[in-house]
Amino acid sequence: MWIKENTSRMMPIFSRRELLQSTSLGGLALAGLLANSTDGSGAEKEPYESPLSQKPPHFAPKAKRIIHLFMNGGPSQMDTFDPKPQLNHLDGQPLPDSVLQQLQPTQRNRAGNIFGSPFKFSNHGESGLPVSELYPHVAKHVDELCVIRSMQGEIANHTPGLLLTNCGHSTLARPSLGSWLLYGLGNESDELPGFVVLCPKGLPTAQSRNWTSDFLPGIYQGTHIDTETSGKQLVPNLTREDIRPGTQRAQVALTQFLNRRHSLDRPGDERLESQIHSMELAFRMQSAGTDAFDLSQEPESIREMYGDSVQAKNLLIARRLAERGVRYIQCYHGAGQPWDHHAAIVNNIRRMAKESDQAIAALLTDLKQRGMLDETLVIWGGEMGRTPTIQETKDASKIGRDHHIDGYTIWLAGGGFRGGMAYGATDELAMAVVEKPVMLADFHATVLHQMGFDHKRLTYRYSGRDFRLTDVQGRVIHDILA
Amino acid sequence: MMRSSLLSVTNSAWLFLVMSGFACSQEAKQLGADFFEQRIRPILVDHCYACHSEAAGEQQGGLLLDRQAGWLEGGESNRVVVPGEPESSLLVKAVRYEDSELQMPPEEKLSNEEIRWLEHWIRGGAPGPVNDLGETKFSRLGDQAYLFDQAKSHWAFQRIRRITPPNAEFHGWNQSSIDRFVAADLKADRLEPSPVADPKTLVRRLYYDLTGLPPTMQQCRSFIDDYQIDSEQAVTELVDSLLASREYAHQIARMWLDVARYADTDSFYRPDTRTPHYFPFAFAYRDYVVEAFHRDKPYDQFLKEQLAADLIGFDADSPEIAALGFYAVGPHANRAQEESLDDWIDTSMRGLMGITVACARCHDHKYEPVPTADYYALRGVFASLNRVDPLDEKQLPKLDGYSPTTDAISDYEEKRAAIDKKIKEAAGKKVGGNNLPVPLKIKETELAELLLFHPGAPTHAMVVTEKSKPPASFVFVRGDAGVKGEEVPRRFLKVLDPMQSAFPEDSSGRKQLAEKIVDPMNPLTARVFVNRVWGQLIGSYLVSTPSDFGLQGSAPSHPELLDWLAADFIDHGWSVKSLVRSIVLSQTYQQDSLNRDAMAKSDPMNLKLWRANRKRLSIEELRDSVLAVSGELDLTPRGRPGELWGEGYTRRRAIYGYINRFNLDPTLRAFDFPSAMQTQPKRDESIVAPQALFTLNSPLIIEQAAAVVAKQGFQECNDDEGRVISIFANVLQRRPTALEMKRVLRFVDQQKILVQKPANAAHFRDAPWELVVQSLLMSNEFQYVD
Repeated sequence: MWIKENTSRMMPIFSRRELLQSTSLGGLALAGLLANSTDGSGAEKEPYESPLSQKPPHFAPKAKRIIHLFMNGGPSQMDTFDPKPQLNHLDGQPLPDSVLQQLQPTQRNRAGNIFGSPFKFSNHGESGLPVSELYPHVAKHVDELCVIRSMQGEIANHTPGLLLTNCGHSTLARPSLGSWLLYGLGNESDELPGFVVLCPKGLPTAQSRNWTSDFLPGIYQGTHIDTETSGKQLVPNLTREDIRPGTQRAQVALTQFLNRRHSLDRPGDERLESQIHSMELAFRMQSAGTDAFDLSQEPESIREMYGDSVQAKNLLIARRLAERGVRYIQCYHGAGQPWDHHAAIVNNIRRMAKESDQAIAALLTDLKQRGMLDETLVIWGGEMGRTPTIQETKDASKIGRDHHIDGYTIWLAGGGFRGGMAYGATDELAMAVVEKPVMLADFHATVLHQMGFDHKRLTYRYSGRDFRLTDVQGRVIHDILA
Repeated sequence: MMRSSLLSVTNSAWLFLVMSGFACSQEAKQLGADFFEQRIRPILVDHCYACHSEAAGEQQGGLLLDRQAGWLEGGESNRVVVPGEPESSLLVKAVRYEDSELQMPPEEKLSNEEIRWLEHWIRGGAPGPVNDLGETKFSRLGDQAYLFDQAKSHWAFQRIRRITPPNAEFHGWNQSSIDRFVAADLKADRLEPSPVADPKTLVRRLYYDLTGLPPTMQQCRSFIDDYQIDSEQAVTELVDSLLASREYAHQIARMWLDVARYADTDSFYRPDTRTPHYFPFAFAYRDYVVEAFHRDKPYDQFLKEQLAADLIGFDADSPEIAALGFYAVGPHANRAQEESLDDWIDTSMRGLMGITVACARCHDHKYEPVPTADYYALRGVFASLNRVDPLDEKQLPKLDGYSPTTDAISDYEEKRAAIDKKIKEAAGKKVGGNNLPVPLKIKETELAELLLFHPGAPTHAMVVTEKSKPPASFVFVRGDAGVKGEEVPRRFLKVLDPMQSAFPEDSSGRKQLAEKIVDPMNPLTARVFVNRVWGQLIGSYLVSTPSDFGLQGSAPSHPELLDWLAADFIDHGWSVKSLVRSIVLSQTYQQDSLNRDAMAKSDPMNLKLWRANRKRLSIEELRDSVLAVSGELDLTPRGRPGELWGEGYTRRRAIYGYINRFNLDPTLRAFDFPSAMQTQPKRDESIVAPQALFTLNSPLIIEQAAAVVAKQGFQECNDDEGRVISIFANVLQRRPTALEMKRVLRFVDQQKILVQKPANAAHFRDAPWELVVQSLLMSNEFQYVD
């Protein structure tokens, strides 16, 4: 049969097939062969390439993966990482009218008096960066943190803030950062999706728009998993319980036998080879997918370090996914907008921080001790910050802070960012950025840069033009890079 | 438009320059181009060109600093340099960091010396480069006058030509005009067409392309018998009988539902109950589409009904009123009104005419002849519509023609009464946590689910209605609804209607819009549709960007053929069946799909169509094929959707599957099913492992494999060889080769041995034949069509 088809184009496929038939479909060897095969015939035909196969970025990346800890709802900056002693001096006093005008209209109308932070700040680490008492564990890692205090949003509400942070636009539907990364880099793991969103107990506000691939092909969309349930959701049809793996192995071998006969008569169609490859991957995915979510495999010491909480489970799974090559793991604190403390902020923010502080610190420790922190970018932050004033309320015991977008705080650790530094500044009343404003487009440009991309060149042609995450904006902030 | 006003600014700027030259002659002498090159260019190169030059491919803020016209005309913030007047020049303001809103370069302020040189340069008349670039294609991005000029010669905006096809030099390629065009191109490239596919291949291809289902072994045999007597007649008869079947309509309707971003829910859910916002009656639109294709409703009429059924004589009790679902089933919930309007504009323009208008929402289109005013003229049309609440049974017209059984009705009524009672009792109560009314919660969850899934529930059309008084439409400057610009009347696109005649003031103008779209003189509508159908049947498009025929879209591979198809389509009364028929009866379509090295060398992508394209089954085709071979496929048309493969999945065709837009089924997603968030130009084709997991592990495949074994034909087999033959005939419609027979029997024997060991009994299901069937369902042969 081969002789009949013995043309120049057939030669490499011929030898590949020969190998296919001589191996026992062990999987790995086959996968490597298929992935690395080149068509030496010199014909210009593009081989079929999976849209998920790995691609190099524009230049050598500093970070290989991202774990984004999303404090959805908008954590208060002056109660966490941006101390404002002046607010405590002026606590209970009204804002001067001229200052009040700086607030967004929606917040201005219901702004009450100045509210100093009830939480004590102290300096930590060699850098001496201040962290509030809400984060005793994270504070120990302060020399790893690059704290940006001058983030600027566009619209002081949750959905626009989430969409701007995740997709680069406050209102229009656009692909998310994770989708862009997957589009640019392909999937490192053969066995797991490359963009995973962990959110316990449901979906965050703005729901799946936060991880949409929008106009990018659908395979770049994030895979949402409710970590309260099992990992089987990760991939549908992940396993089959009624037959043993050995039986299924034999069954797959029978299919591959048929496939090879089929391909022999249809030379030159790379898709058919790809399908064969894909079937092997799927077979292996069955164990890998279940494995990543099996926390019982972690030693007791590690589980203790993360603690026994929903956040601990979330972040420990995130680390296991990171280890297995998932590119972008987004961990929402919870469904809806749990960090949205319009009311009773003192108790609520204490509870939120307590739920996550130990686990976040453990994640940083864990990544570091595994030598992964250098290549893993950990991002902490919300979609906006909060006002220095209380939101008008009748009940004094329920005071909270309103939405605020001109000067909120996020921090980054690892992934080639400079630790132990604060970048940018807000005024002493925490009303506005006075130094080094950072727009989300700048943040995106910088994150993409660390992942090896020139944000201006990571583009996709859609609806007649080239789109990019940063649209017409964005600059890389080199000052915060190591 | 914007650019032309800027051009006049240029002229006055020059005048200004001349005048200021006099005024300032005491202060500064006129500088020359050398000065620019020596002193100014280096500063600009170092600090500005990364964002403001053609070489860097950037003109941020619309500003270019690599040519005189650039700084004289200025960017979006207006003139940047006023020659002779540094103090009036925006550039100087920006580099001095005087204004906190405008500081350039943004990274770091220039040195004082550099700033002084720039001031000196402007004072001296701001001369340009030695070799000024002037206007280039790049600098003209967004220049609507220029783009309209380009549009004059752009192929897609030209009238559809009526071209006599050339004579073909290949035997048998002269009967069909399609073949004559294709043959001429092949000949010109020294390519030769492939021979006609063998009848077994042909019959499978025709069944799949026209119905989305495989033929049975019996259907294959009878076609092959007929083919041997008279091949042409056999093909024609098969094509006609398939086109007459409703399965044809199911197949082609699915193509249309991608364009119409069809789904059974909205894009959001209720956070407290985690239920999507249901569209319980979206299915009436899906049924309308199927019925329209089944009856071969003329395509122009089909579009008119979808755009404006209510305005062209169909009242609330006409079945055609369901056509308005074209707008009503779009994603909406929790979106700003602007987003819904944008979806309606985009679906109408890109979906029906392949022209991208949405870019013009914030500024004149940078690449297409679409000024912002066009966007807002169309926005005016859609802003004149009311979207009826998808759960409002009173306002949504009730549709007859669905006749549930009396049992179903009485079961529905019983359940309905219980829910109604519950709603009544909950009056005034609020849901803890979100303070929303409990009755609304019950309505959006239990009631909506009952309406969507219960076979005894009444059916309504999902519609839009006219506002009693259409509001005036204004340009929103930079897309910001808070900044109103000029008023624009409701009208069609300027590039297709240079007269820009306004639609009547007393209606939305949807009727007029529909008429403009289906006007036989409209150069886009017919071309866009025939290209979609061609792509579906041939497996590659004549225009590879099916929803973008604009200046940025791909040029057609066969421009004359495209025109012939479009003209023939219109001449045949916009008959879709006639169009499909003419394509599948061509030699071009009926060629073999085998690769040939000599041809592949010069045309590896088969752009010239020297062979047929091997096609992969879509997820719907794959699923329906599995049910077809197991004999469980239920061909009942119309009605409410069901689960595709989850618990209690429906056995009906996949087009009747429940599509949850808010959380698209991951299997659908893995198989490139569109997100239904916007009109889909075409399906991507990816090969990823989760697809294989579906055939490996999904309960649907496992159960249907078992159903094949349970079929009478298999059960009647007396020996294992007969069983193998039966399975191959059933699943692949062919006999196994000797080698295949041997290999399958070996697998079965091994399984039998394993199962016989008592220790294994608990772990092994005794089902070797089911596993064999599934092996075949998992195979490439099953999933690809030659």
